[in-house]
Amino acid sequence: MLLDFARLGPWRVALIAIALLVGAYLLLPILLIVALSFGSSQWLQFPPPGWTLRWYEDLFEDPEWIASFLTSFQIAVVVTVLSVLIGLMASFGLTRGTFRGRQALRALFLTPMILPVVVLAVALYAFFLRLHLNGTFLGFVLAHLVIALPFSIIAISNALERFDRDIETAAIVCGASPLEAKIRVTLPGIRLGLVSAAIFSFLASWDEVVIAIFMASPDLQTLPVRIFGTLRQDLSPVIAAVSTLLIALTAALMALAAFFRKDARS
Amino acid sequence: MTVTDVPIATPSPVLAASRRRGRGFAPVLPALALVVVVFVIPVLALLLRSVLEPEPGLQNYAAFFASTTYLKVLGNTFLVAGTVTIATVLLGFPVAWFLAIAPSFWSRLLFAIVILSMWTNLLARTYAWMVLLQRTGIINRTLMDLGLISEPLPLINNLAGVTIGMTYIMLPFMILPLHATIRSIDPAIFQAAALCGASRWQAFTRVMLPLTASGIAAGALMVFVMSLGYFITPALLGGTSNMMLAELIAQLVQSLLDWGLAGAAALVLLVITLAIYMVQLRFFGFGQARS
Repeated sequence: MLLDFARLGPWRVALIAIALLVGAYLLLPILLIVALSFGSSQWLQFPPPGWTLRWYEDLFEDPEWIASFLTSFQIAVVVTVLSVLIGLMASFGLTRGTFRGRQALRALFLTPMILPVVVLAVALYAFFLRLHLNGTFLGFVLAHLVIALPFSIIAISNALERFDRDIETAAIVCGASPLEAKIRVTLPGIRLGLVSAAIFSFLASWDEVVIAIFMASPDLQTLPVRIFGTLRQDLSPVIAAVSTLLIALTAALMALAAFFRKDARS
Repeated sequence: MTVTDVPIATPSPVLAASRRRGRGFAPVLPALALVVVVFVIPVLALLLRSVLEPEPGLQNYAAFFASTTYLKVLGNTFLVAGTVTIATVLLGFPVAWFLAIAPSFWSRLLFAIVILSMWTNLLARTYAWMVLLQRTGIINRTLMDLGLISEPLPLINNLAGVTIGMTYIMLPFMILPLHATIRSIDPAIFQAAALCGASRWQAFTRVMLPLTASGIAAGALMVFVMSLGYFITPALLGGTSNMMLAELIAQLVQSLLDWGLAGAAALVLLVITLAIYMVQLRFFGFGQARS
């Protein structure tokens, strides 16, 4: 009765109404940003009095925006590669190792994900101050790696647990070395986990802002830091243009993830 | 990476011995080194400063809990996190329910919106709310055009703005686990309830709510604990006179350079956060905390 949409009776109206309302609440702000980024009003009038690409031109002509975009991208790519590699090794150890304290170790690895990020940001800021790592590329990579690693470990461990290890064993019986079997049999078998580890690691670094605010220097700023700094001053439509590009990127990565899931099912 | 044991043979004494000793530790070492050096040591060092600076003792904690300003920040933090949690339960439950049973086109569409919203850059979403809530923003202008208000409502730079923005950001974290919980209910249970003469209301309060209680509690704890430590949205939508705990920590470090007090505030936040996660682990297990 309550799980049959057709037989909900008057409750169905209420359910549809709330679903519509929440759907609008979740979607409209995103559509609003996209509309404002093409709107000609400096003061973010809505509906916009006219349409323009001016904010995108401003964005692409500003070397500082381009520089922060490239910085973010470079950091995120390096973090993604390291996060998947370190996460893959750790996942092998956590799922197949027989040493004691594996559960505790797994919990430790996942802690950076659940802890308030501001605490880590302040702690790293103080720590890196002594090591002279604040405002450096290496500092950003290390800090974001700690945030990204839990996503890798979750995605790859889950894939490894589902992977039938007998297939790897069969390859070894057929004459492959254990390492060869891992590379040519197991890795393709868990590719879905590797892809989601990469996507989530990339987004974890790319979207990370709290640690970056503390770590950034005037010379080395990631895109989120620059957006945050600009937002503190004014609500320029250029931010709408940046945000729209970020939304497009997110949608593309989501589509990619969905594509790989479908690929895995078929 | 060392090669782990290969269990092709029947368990031999050698293999059994290696099992006891434990193997496969080497591959975790890079991750362990990273987490210890870039996470455990810096966080412990920060917390230590709270009892060492400016001089050894508990004076930072005494100062924190004696100050009405800081206690107000703590109160604000709990107030916002609590309101956001209640709002996400009330809005999220019907949506999760709708997602679980609506015709597939509509549920897929709404599901995509929830996921898109969740993964859209946090700053982009906060920017949207800054535009919507400002004094001359769309919401205020629409309400004034409709003649519902004569003066713009103060929707930004206060706790109302923070609550609206945070509810928006936290909703997906409530909807997704609740959706999984509701989907796992066997529809036959409600047929049984109907056969036994239960009305829809009785079926809801006596069957559906008890069956989803653990999912609601798990989602609520997660939203509450995430809201407690949130920094960006309060910093942009909130006001300087009504801070939350994460902002206070940032400000103690950035403007006041008071590392001892910042460490104390960080420990307070950590203890509350970990206590809530312990409750979560104790009652719901780790799996649900992550789902």
